[in-house]
Amino acid sequence: MNILVCVKRVPLTGGKIVLTEDAQAIQTRHLGFTVSPHEECGAEEAVRLVEQHGGTSTALTIGPPEAEEQLRDLMAIGVDQGIHLVTDGSEWDPQATGAAIVAAVRAQPEPYDLILFGNESADSGNFQVQVRVAQALGLPVVNGIKAISLEGSSLRCEQETSAGRDVYTVPTPAVVSVKEGINLPRYPSVPGRMRAKRKPIEASQPAKPQARLAMVRLVLPETSNKQAEVLGHGAEAAPAVVEILQSIGVM
Amino acid sequence: MLAALLAVSSYLFAVRVRFLVDLVRSAAPTTRAGDRERRVRNEATIVLGQRKLLQRIVPGLIHAFIFWGFLVLGPTIVIAMIGVVSKHATLPWLGDQGWYAFLVDLFAVLVLVGVVSALWIRKVQRPRRFEGSHLGEADLILALIATIAISLLLWHATRIALGLNEWPASSAPVSHLLSHLFAHDGTTRVLERVFVWVHVTTILAFLAYLPRSKHLHIASAAFNVWYGRTGPGGQLETLRFDDPNIPEEDIRFGAGTSADLTWKEMLDTFSCTECGRCQDVCPAFATGKALSPKLVIMGLRDQVFADGAALVKSRDGEKPIDLTSLVPTAVPEESVWDCVTCGACVQACPVSIEHVDHIVDLRRHLVMVDSSFPAEAEPMLRDIERASNPWGKAQSERADWAAGLGIRILEPGEAAPEYLYWVGCASSFDERARATAENTARLLQRAGVDFAILGAREACTGDPARRIGNEYVFQGFAEQNVATLNEAGVTKIIANCPHCFNTLGNEYPDFGGHYEVIHHTEVLARLVSEGRLTPRRDENLKVTYHDSCYLARHNDVLAPPRELVSAVGQTVEMERSGKQTFCCGAGGAHMWMEERGTQINDNRVREAAGTGAGTLAVACPFCTVMLDDGVQGAGADLRVADVATLLVEAGAAD
Amino acid sequence: MRTLVFVEDASDELSQQAVVMAKGLGGDVAAVAIDPSGGYAPAAWAQTLVEIAQSRGATAITAPGSERGNEILAHVAAKLDQPMAANCVSVAGGDPATVTRVRWGGSLLEEARLLGSPLLYTSAAHAIAAEPISDVETVPVTSALSELDQAVRVVEQVPASTSGVSLTDADVVVSGGRGVGSAEGFSIIEELAELLGGAVGCSRAVTSAGWRPHSDQVGQTGSKVSPEIYIACGISGATQHMAGVKGAKRLLAINPDGEASIFAGADYAVIGDLHEVVPAISAEIRKVKGT
Repeated sequence: MNILVCVKRVPLTGGKIVLTEDAQAIQTRHLGFTVSPHEECGAEEAVRLVEQHGGTSTALTIGPPEAEEQLRDLMAIGVDQGIHLVTDGSEWDPQATGAAIVAAVRAQPEPYDLILFGNESADSGNFQVQVRVAQALGLPVVNGIKAISLEGSSLRCEQETSAGRDVYTVPTPAVVSVKEGINLPRYPSVPGRMRAKRKPIEASQPAKPQARLAMVRLVLPETSNKQAEVLGHGAEAAPAVVEILQSIGVM
Repeated sequence: MLAALLAVSSYLFAVRVRFLVDLVRSAAPTTRAGDRERRVRNEATIVLGQRKLLQRIVPGLIHAFIFWGFLVLGPTIVIAMIGVVSKHATLPWLGDQGWYAFLVDLFAVLVLVGVVSALWIRKVQRPRRFEGSHLGEADLILALIATIAISLLLWHATRIALGLNEWPASSAPVSHLLSHLFAHDGTTRVLERVFVWVHVTTILAFLAYLPRSKHLHIASAAFNVWYGRTGPGGQLETLRFDDPNIPEEDIRFGAGTSADLTWKEMLDTFSCTECGRCQDVCPAFATGKALSPKLVIMGLRDQVFADGAALVKSRDGEKPIDLTSLVPTAVPEESVWDCVTCGACVQACPVSIEHVDHIVDLRRHLVMVDSSFPAEAEPMLRDIERASNPWGKAQSERADWAAGLGIRILEPGEAAPEYLYWVGCASSFDERARATAENTARLLQRAGVDFAILGAREACTGDPARRIGNEYVFQGFAEQNVATLNEAGVTKIIANCPHCFNTLGNEYPDFGGHYEVIHHTEVLARLVSEGRLTPRRDENLKVTYHDSCYLARHNDVLAPPRELVSAVGQTVEMERSGKQTFCCGAGGAHMWMEERGTQINDNRVREAAGTGAGTLAVACPFCTVMLDDGVQGAGADLRVADVATLLVEAGAAD
Repeated sequence: MRTLVFVEDASDELSQQAVVMAKGLGGDVAAVAIDPSGGYAPAAWAQTLVEIAQSRGATAITAPGSERGNEILAHVAAKLDQPMAANCVSVAGGDPATVTRVRWGGSLLEEARLLGSPLLYTSAAHAIAAEPISDVETVPVTSALSELDQAVRVVEQVPASTSGVSLTDADVVVSGGRGVGSAEGFSIIEELAELLGGAVGCSRAVTSAGWRPHSDQVGQTGSKVSPEIYIACGISGATQHMAGVKGAKRLLAINPDGEASIFAGADYAVIGDLHEVVPAISAEIRKVKGT
């Protein structure tokens, strides 16, 4: 199987988010970065599918030059090659992102049997890039998948719902977006990290189109001025807790 | 006849020694050069002076008798061989000397006293440290030693009875006394031959058996001590990942098979006599974990011998293939993770075996090559890499504890203060350890010390990553922090975390970071002695001080925290204190691992509570957290507090 | 404004919220559900909506910010090649339309302009109070479907194997974080949850440490819960986790660190070690219940 997995570099935000002065971005000066969690699982899934069925896995990202770190991280767990659509780090809206991915996919000599995405990115959470890519490439798409297995030339994809699991059978080639929990991404080995340094990354700088979902500014949600009511310290708080539980009728 | 026996024995000895030497030569490289003076001193004290053995006086003396006896009686091997050839000849200058006859007499008896006492310990006392050792082999060796000493005394006795002694009978009182058992007759003449033959053949048998037994330490221990590490105990050996002369497939990622062991590690395995002193002091073993440092070394030794032929062949350039993984074949996986790297085993070992290096090398291979380690430690490893601290907190929140305290944060480009206060992740982020940072800062401010913190530019030193085996991640952080510190022009660092203290001071020099690193207790003790801090002493405050392994055992910081404790109250010592301290249970990245069975901190808290002190003073944020948990778990009437906190409470910051 | 709202069904709370938000735009609002008898088929359902919208001249199409709502609207947006804003907390018509939408699972908001027509957005969960929907029109799936639209549909439904209350439906969620310390440590969390007839949750650190399965994970990349009360034990309150508890009516945090960020989002606080506090609460409940 020839698999593409699309990933995004996102900051690790910790306990509170601080914005830059112009409110256009998160202050990331002292933050670490990672692959958006659903997508990290997507990469692990790609590697597992290739381990099982053969083929190659490719990770694609749109992001600043530093996003190469995330591609290398995924190569360290077994992704074979990378495509880096290098940006200046500014926000690309979902349509622009989708179009850039579609162009990159079309530029490849071989088509992909499977294009994996995360269900939504951790930061912007637009829930749509994968659907736009599928539409443009004329491929079927399923979302929020927590189990994939290859059955002949179809994929059996399972989605978690509050009632259980919904199952789809999707003919390949296809686009699938996955959710964290589909697997536990492996911890990268050091030989893997060293090999990753030598794996090929195809870098290009696509032109950024005009945004149609145009961010004006970021705003921190008003933390409701509620001050948590301290019910007590240690075990002695138990009666007060139980009183609350009774008053709201959950006992 | 003698010549034939001598030849056979020597041949058997030589073949085996050759094999062992080849094995050591086939092993991975490690650097143990330099520091000649210290090595000579180690030979003099640890080998000749039996310093480490005498840490336990009774078994120490037993061994010293046998060992010194072995040295003194050495020439009697030649004397006896000459005696075999001719009953009228002896070794010139020595064999006929009364003083030497006296020494031989004395030490033969001391050896026997040693052997009998050793048997008494082994057969009657049966201490736990022998659990898992080869007891039968030990009995055989003791029997051989006893035979050698007894046959020597009896040989001398018969010679006195026959008037063959070259020295006055009175100079060898024991032999003299025994000589009364024998008449001056033909039977004694036969017996004199029998004893000398028994003596010589036993020695020759011993010679052939020795390098095949755990008693090999006679030959290897002196070398092992010589090549023992001379640097600080808390320092781990740096692996090289970027050496252009080493092809990537030959990079050593710790120890996966016996072929990955360094020659010192291999020599370590040859030197183990299974005495179990390491096991006896191991906090993991003491709390019923799978780990016994002794069994780790024995397991590795067995694997080295099992793979021996293949390893020796590999010297000629053939890479040994298909060797069994050391874990779990030689060492159970659980044991590898049980270790808290407290170094008690290394300190106790009479022959300078470095157990922690072995365990860390096994971990390194498991973590770096197999990605196999306790799952609960994975968030720590990932968080260090992604968030620069093991709790995954945002770096931007690192200096939150300092808000409002007026502490200078050293920004890029600013002039460095006299001291950089390296706060460490635990004291920055853990709510119980944070008090230490606040109080240390307040005391330094009160005493007018010129200091600053790095704030968000301070990253994890990499210590937990290194100790769990991820040398690669550790080195990334070492390089990053050294770059930050050097760029800032930092020369002196105060650390309140003994783990940071150890890493910054002992391990960063390998990465170009050379700083004067002092622990906060050291600087605070100096400030108190100079009168720049004046805590009020409370006679009624009974305090027991828990030594952190990385402060006391690994780095010899013993007095300063005690001076501080006695400046605020009355000190009561625990039995296991100073360099004999007992780990809190957090070392070796155990802060982020689950503990099976009895908790190490529980064991320690019970000891602390037994002193009757109301306060358990600590000087390490990990100890603070672990022992505080232990106090809560045990329901002990103890309060755990860092010495800096005690000083502030005693008004030193007012 | 002529707005078409996709609703999952009339009783679905998020769908009700979507209708309320759509009404805020002014003009006509039509709530449409799709006949589910042929099985859920996102592209086909989206095609159906597009056709209805076009036939009725809708100037806005919206859906609840649920899994399906977002998925269907994404299909609509892709089919029309128009911009779409997911999970909006507020929306204003006009040219261009402006929205305030959720990022980082709710830890951050984005004000944005939507340069397209029709206006396509989904409403963020619990951004606005639900009201009963007076009339929902249920329409059949359109017959004019491309092969691609027909390619994906639910072919099988596997009921949940676990008995007990599900995390997303529970009235009480007792959740443990890194502070629980071990997999075994969860026994006291389980005990409290059982006494309250609730479900056990956990933070992402707990899942990565292997103490609980991912299905117990509450947060941005786990389940989003909406209980009457969420009891967070030994959870520091990272944004990743808080994104999953925004739907909770009340939050009780138990943490030894008075400075922990979890308290900033909590209604009630107990400062202390969960290993003491949680068993004490369980004991108190037993005492009160007289068992």
